[in-house]
Amino acid sequence: MPQQIKRLISVFAIFIALFLIMRQVLKPESFGELGHYRAKAIQENTMKELHYAGSDSCAKCHEDILKDKSLGFHKQLKCEVCHGPGLKHALFIDKVNTAQIPDSLVLYKPIQRKDCAICHQINAARIKIQFDTINTSMIHQINVLDHNLMDLDTKVEYKCIDCHNPHQP
Amino acid sequence: MTQDKSKFSRRDFFKAGTIIVGGITVTSALAPFDGVLFATEPPKGEGKWYGIGIDINKCIGCGKCANACKLENNVPKAPFYFRSWVEQYTIKNDGTIIVESPNGGIDGFKQSVPDNEIFKSFFVPKMCNHCAKSPCVQVCPVGATFETPEGIVLVDENYCIGCRYCVQACPYGCRYIHPEKGTVDKCTLCIHRLKKGLQPACFEICPTEARIFGDLNDPKSKLNYFLKNHTCMVIKPHLNTGSKLFYNALSPEVR
Amino acid sequence: MEDHLQNLYEVLSKVEGYVYPNEIELNWSILIVLYPYITGLVAGAFILASLERIFKLRILKPTYGLALLTALAFMLVATMPLISHLGKPFRAYEIMITPHLSSAMAIFGFVYLWYLMVVLLLEIWFDYRRDMVIWANETKGFKRFLYKVLSLWTTDISPKAVALDNKLGYIVTVIGIPSAFLLHGYVGFIFGSIKANPWWSTVLMPVIFLFSAMVSGIALVMLIYILLTKIRKLSIDMACLDMIAKYLFYFLIIDFALEGLDQIHRIYEAEESFEALHKLVFGKLFFTLFFMQGLFGTILPLLTLGTFQFYKPKEQIRKRIYLVVASLILVGIFFMRWNVVIGGQLFSKSFYGYTSFKIGLIGAEGYLMASIWLIIPFIILAFLLWLLPPWKKIEVDHEI
Repeated sequence: MPQQIKRLISVFAIFIALFLIMRQVLKPESFGELGHYRAKAIQENTMKELHYAGSDSCAKCHEDILKDKSLGFHKQLKCEVCHGPGLKHALFIDKVNTAQIPDSLVLYKPIQRKDCAICHQINAARIKIQFDTINTSMIHQINVLDHNLMDLDTKVEYKCIDCHNPHQP
Repeated sequence: MTQDKSKFSRRDFFKAGTIIVGGITVTSALAPFDGVLFATEPPKGEGKWYGIGIDINKCIGCGKCANACKLENNVPKAPFYFRSWVEQYTIKNDGTIIVESPNGGIDGFKQSVPDNEIFKSFFVPKMCNHCAKSPCVQVCPVGATFETPEGIVLVDENYCIGCRYCVQACPYGCRYIHPEKGTVDKCTLCIHRLKKGLQPACFEICPTEARIFGDLNDPKSKLNYFLKNHTCMVIKPHLNTGSKLFYNALSPEVR
Repeated sequence: MEDHLQNLYEVLSKVEGYVYPNEIELNWSILIVLYPYITGLVAGAFILASLERIFKLRILKPTYGLALLTALAFMLVATMPLISHLGKPFRAYEIMITPHLSSAMAIFGFVYLWYLMVVLLLEIWFDYRRDMVIWANETKGFKRFLYKVLSLWTTDISPKAVALDNKLGYIVTVIGIPSAFLLHGYVGFIFGSIKANPWWSTVLMPVIFLFSAMVSGIALVMLIYILLTKIRKLSIDMACLDMIAKYLFYFLIIDFALEGLDQIHRIYEAEESFEALHKLVFGKLFFTLFFMQGLFGTILPLLTLGTFQFYKPKEQIRKRIYLVVASLILVGIFFMRWNVVIGGQLFSKSFYGYTSFKIGLIGAEGYLMASIWLIIPFIILAFLLWLLPPWKKIEVDHEI
């Protein structure tokens, strides 16, 4: 075999061998077990931290409110819809078993007009009643910008919750 | 040369031809040719196979789903990164289509068109379609995004190289590059919640139950009930992505 | 990070109509414009070299070695823009370790390696082996060592061995032509196979990329050849230059016809995306598409080179015009890549609106970084010309 061919073949052989070795060394474990990916990545994705507790957790302490709520229009709303994620709040009570919740874990109280407006502000996209006979999406709409805005004498702004109980509107 | 030619007689030709044609027929019968090189495998009809249903008629555009998604999954707050968002479509009487999604709908919507000019208007919640033939999975060069056996498209953030090819390949705009991690990020269908027996955050939080989520392999699941009783459609069906996000009352304007 | 967000807020204020919220950020920036540009230059330069060797265009001999070295210089940096734009550049090796066979980008790693190792390096090695052995004996010190290493310590320069080199080099070139087609057709496929993006998704994309690659590569070698003879104060081989210009003209016609066909097809079919793309072309892409790519990059060079087929002005003038035409084409093809890569991301996949593109001077995706990747190949080329000067080679007749 000519000299240059020999040299070339050995260079290429070394290169390919190195590549194959690297491949063995660097290929992550669990790769290819379920498909062309690291099977462990599914596990890693399930290990993420939770924030929303789910409505079952609320019933443990706030049974009275849930009872109120079950009688009104908001019965199908989960608590966290308005109050925000509450897992830390719920876990704290589970652990410490006291009502003395630190300020940082007190959940949001939506008492501003804008909090109600997010669902109830009148919007053509929201009117569905005439199309939907089951009426499941019937929702009361109001122009939050002018509906009983303030006391005409004192000019004090009303909040929605001054007249409507959010748990039983 | 002439001698060589005559060696290969007509009979040989037919013999060879029969062997080739027969061989192809037999092998293709044993292993049918799968015409398209898809990255993922079709459902095997066993175990769970998750899908999503969204009833546009029920969506009131509160944006709670988009907000819940950001809070549950630590999605960056800036309005350029969304795993789930809501769009407001307004079709005017003259046919113009206006689509809006300020901050993904998290801060609520305002109707910018006066009522008398509106032909129709509705909200469309958007999220990852968890396609069965995901274009994003198909193009990932290293296998850092994949479909789980349960039909959830996930990202392996410890393996993603951040080439952004999948972002380009997703027809629905459901992927973004996480500004701090440098890897791609997308909806996981809250797999961390599913494994604990909870619903994904956006389904948990929807006040009108416009979102239905369930197992397509289970004939009795809520999702299959929903699909049976509504005329459902996926977005961009012509792209054949095998989308598993089914919308009821989807207007053709929605893209 | 803060700058990045600041940028995005600025872009947000310039969004027209509606884009999906994740689409406000342009994901593939100037570095990805450079990537097909540089690969194209490689493929084009190589094709020019092959014209001499395979198609026996002896008249192109003065540019043979130069074209090969240019191809190598650009090939060595071709993947750098791609790697430097990654979110996690240090994970780039994964493309080779666990390539996903259904991904165009994963296969590119192998196509690239094949082209670099098996085609370019081998052809140059066979071409220069005898010279390197001779030069190793003539020089001293580090340069001598370098020649020794590069020639893999071979010493056989008998006529038989040289004939073998020549023969093998020829075989490699024959393999090289389809490989060059594969390399750049593949880059086109990376874009053309994205069905989500109607601006990219066309079967013609690989072919268009291929021919524009040849055009740009040939123009580059032409430019370098003119400049190099000027620097070395030699008289230029006008017959060779005219021949290059002729082939440049032919390939430019094919390129122009293909791109025209692509656009006519789009306009006539007028699919779902047509209105959105129409507005894009006449809006945000108007200047770069019609002026930079169309008028300056294609029409003017086409007319000039076309005229030269009938009427040839004096050599001095012709040489200068060639210089201008080659530069125009290089700029034009750059903007062709720009229009594909950036243009394809300016419109929303909802077809309801447009985002805008902002690029900084500095930063990983800025102009500075981009120009670095464009300058480095020329530095490499200068080094290669110093190490392996084609003009000092012993003339080998490529006739076998």
